[in-house]
Amino acid sequence: MQYILDIMQYISYIAQMEKIQFENNLKLARVAIDLSQAELADAVGVTRQTIGLIEAGKYNPTIKLCLALAQATNKTLNELFWIKGER
Amino acid sequence: MLFEKLQRDERTISEAGKLGSVWLGITQIMLAGVVFYRLYVLDQPDEQLTDFRTVLAISIFGHIFMQLMFGGLLPMPTKKGMAVLYLILAGTISGVCLAIYGMPAASEWQNTWLPALLGPALLVGAYSFVAWLGKRRIEKMIEG
Repeated sequence: MQYILDIMQYISYIAQMEKIQFENNLKLARVAIDLSQAELADAVGVTRQTIGLIEAGKYNPTIKLCLALAQATNKTLNELFWIKGER
Repeated sequence: MLFEKLQRDERTISEAGKLGSVWLGITQIMLAGVVFYRLYVLDQPDEQLTDFRTVLAISIFGHIFMQLMFGGLLPMPTKKGMAVLYLILAGTISGVCLAIYGMPAASEWQNTWLPALLGPALLVGAYSFVAWLGKRRIEKMIEG
């Protein structure tokens, strides 16, 4: 019985994590400093596709990449990324 | 140049890992299906499948070991959980064997009851031990 409860708790946790969605300002920040996706990608050491997916909200980067992107675009982490609905 | 330069980053590495894990699982299930088909449908003798089953066992147990030891990806069972797991495994194996072969002679216990009852105990014990090692490894990393 406990195992069934544990599994249900795990599924509920996953569903809750899925609900948390991030939004970002990366495209605006990148355009503001006149960088292309490829140039920004080179600056932070990722592929152009990864930058494109982050801008489209289809990939959640690691905190390490978020910090690198914030540094490359001269923004703070809070200016660049936030949880959907909190702004 | 035949291909563009291969570029890897955190996203591509993570995606490759997820896809690799999914396809490893699918491959293992298909291989297990082939083993069962050849054993029970084609009635091929055990000896013809020993190498196949050994590779499959190494693949499955190696995968579980890596996930437990280095990923902390599988849960560590409690004592009650271990007992429940053992009862389910031993009960299923014994039940299926009894249904197929009937009640074995008492003198045959070494080849019948012993593997059916000891095998699951070893499996659950090994799983719990490696899970404990993996948990200890992560705790040590946290402590620095």
